Amino acid sequence: MKAPSRQLSPLLRIVEILLPFLATLAALLVGAVMLIFLGANPFEAYRSLLEGAFGSPNAVADTIVKATPLLLVALGICIAFRGGVINIGGEGQLVVGAVMATMVGLSFPDAPGWLIIPLSALVGFAGGAFWGGIAGFLKAQFNVNEILSTIMLNQIAVQCMNDLLRCPMIEPVQLQAASRIPQTARLAQAFDLPRLVPTRLHLGALIAVIVAVLVYIFLWRTVVGYRIRATGLNPDASRYAGIPVKRYIILSMLLSGGLIGLAGAIQVFGVHHRMFTDGSATGFTGSAGFNGIVVALFGQLHPLGAIPASFLFGALLVGANKLQRAMQVPAAFLTALNGLVVVFVVGSEFWRRRWSRLRRTEAMDTAAQSIGSEAESEVKA
Amino acid sequence: MNNTELIIIFSSIILQASPLIIAVCGETITERSGVINLSLDGTMLMAAMTGFVVALKSDNVWVGFLAAAGVGMIFALIIAFGSIRLKQNQVAIGFVLTLLGDDLSSFLGQNYTRIPGPFIKKMAIPVLQDIPVLGPLFFDQNLVVYFALVLVALTWWFMFRTRPGLQLRAAGERPAAAFSRGVGVNRVRYLYTILGGALVGIAGAAYSLNVKLGWSDGHTRGLGWIALAIVIFGGWSPIRGAFGAILFGATKSLATVLQRRYPEVSVVAFNSIPWIMMIAVLLLVSSQFTDWLISVMPRRLQRPLHQLLKVSPPMALGTIFEED
Repeated sequence: MKAPSRQLSPLLRIVEILLPFLATLAALLVGAVMLIFLGANPFEAYRSLLEGAFGSPNAVADTIVKATPLLLVALGICIAFRGGVINIGGEGQLVVGAVMATMVGLSFPDAPGWLIIPLSALVGFAGGAFWGGIAGFLKAQFNVNEILSTIMLNQIAVQCMNDLLRCPMIEPVQLQAASRIPQTARLAQAFDLPRLVPTRLHLGALIAVIVAVLVYIFLWRTVVGYRIRATGLNPDASRYAGIPVKRYIILSMLLSGGLIGLAGAIQVFGVHHRMFTDGSATGFTGSAGFNGIVVALFGQLHPLGAIPASFLFGALLVGANKLQRAMQVPAAFLTALNGLVVVFVVGSEFWRRRWSRLRRTEAMDTAAQSIGSEAESEVKA
Repeated sequence: MNNTELIIIFSSIILQASPLIIAVCGETITERSGVINLSLDGTMLMAAMTGFVVALKSDNVWVGFLAAAGVGMIFALIIAFGSIRLKQNQVAIGFVLTLLGDDLSSFLGQNYTRIPGPFIKKMAIPVLQDIPVLGPLFFDQNLVVYFALVLVALTWWFMFRTRPGLQLRAAGERPAAAFSRGVGVNRVRYLYTILGGALVGIAGAAYSLNVKLGWSDGHTRGLGWIALAIVIFGGWSPIRGAFGAILFGATKSLATVLQRRYPEVSVVAFNSIPWIMMIAVLLLVSSQFTDWLISVMPRRLQRPLHQLLKVSPPMALGTIFEED
């Protein structure tokens, strides 16, 4: 009897591994067509994109700085999605974490940095956890659809942020100025996250990578992490196995929101050193709360996969900024390009999963056939 | 506040609610067939932009509405194809399309922001508009509002009183049983996802051409999510959904009125009211609270109250059905 060949051809395997990158390339190709319509030379444009992302130590540092919040958000999303909760409230949790952390920094301007930085990171974590926990609690206890509740909570968080920054937390100088820009005072220099090398690269990047490893260990090497994943895979089976499913749904949202809130705190203390708003969430977050979801999907909902995924996305964001400045294309082109990459990458992820499913069924078919032919030959004998 | 003033406020609430009503009807049809179109927010933004720009270029609002319906159908087709043919997660596809619609609409619409364009003229219905109170509320509006109101009745009648409507609901409740009775479940799902998408597209254009005239970046942002929540509030019934949309509009204008009257209260309270209310409503509808409420009512009221309040999603909502 011949052994059934279950291996995909090696070429297809390579394609499968490179799929997210190929998808990004395809999106850039569509972007090139758009650039031609905008009257720009696509080759030059993408050269400036690459240059902007990797052209100098400073550029690489900027890329990593941009990737840091994406990575932390993606890690939070990994925990929630693995726990079977679809957390779309990243923007709101990020904002709440950032506002709370800023409050700590503003309240104790004379305290030493080694005390305030960890404290505000903790408070940022708690803020995000609280905001995410609301949705988790509502889902676990009252069966409220978490996609909708997190979206609503995003809006409420933005309203609260706008109000806080326009009145109680506004920079005293802005109160006298006619413009009244809604932003807080700059936090004390002592609270700036330490720089790693003489660029804009700050400690937050290192923290994010360490957290990624910790999340991996948590999800795959601890009982609590295992239960979260079990709850996500099959809540009914988990309930019969004695796992208090409701509690784990809330826990996964607490941790998810917490990590995203931590990202907000790190953005404040590492990058902006103050809190500001343009009336929507994106002014401060740069849509990291949404892009983090895409990064998490790109990394196949694996904490370690999120590291390269966030780096790639950070590069795209930084490079696209440079592209826009160099080529004088409208800023809206960037959001469109970003959207295209998102669609292509997530789309390719669908194809990848479809292939692996096809391969599984093929393997099962061949296995069934070989069993069948064995039985046949036995009957003949 | 006298009566005329109240009537003006209420007729503007109905005008404001009309796009939401259309979107809710569309999504209700889609979800009843078993498919979640989560991309409402992005679809409505794209449709609002397309509808306005096309109407501006062609100088004909109805062409704008057609184009917007087309946009809604394309988004819905992607959802249907992704979930039925490619057997992928509808929520993920919908979410990504939401982001894409948002980004794409601000990119493609950037040259058309804040410019005046065509809009729909008021069209009172001759005799009916003279009915006291009801006349000015329902019959002194324009065609889009009439369309929304007729659509509610039509959708209800179609879903609950016709054979194709029964097949539509069967595809969303028990696809396997429907399939064994000869209903092409996936064909039905394709059809109603696209039909629902067309209505969502029309709803988007109803904003830019009727309610909130023109186009600006993020013109209808957030309203798609509101519509999705109202579908749940409406218990997947167009009539309750329309009621929810009007209730939402009423709360919003109540917030505006209160804000004008009490300027010392922070704006954030008023701006957050619709969102907090939506969460409260979801809580009310999804939790066991209604069960409890019905159980403490007098026995004779229990059955009608149960029919009125109790909702459950279509059983096969968001699942994939394989025809074999």
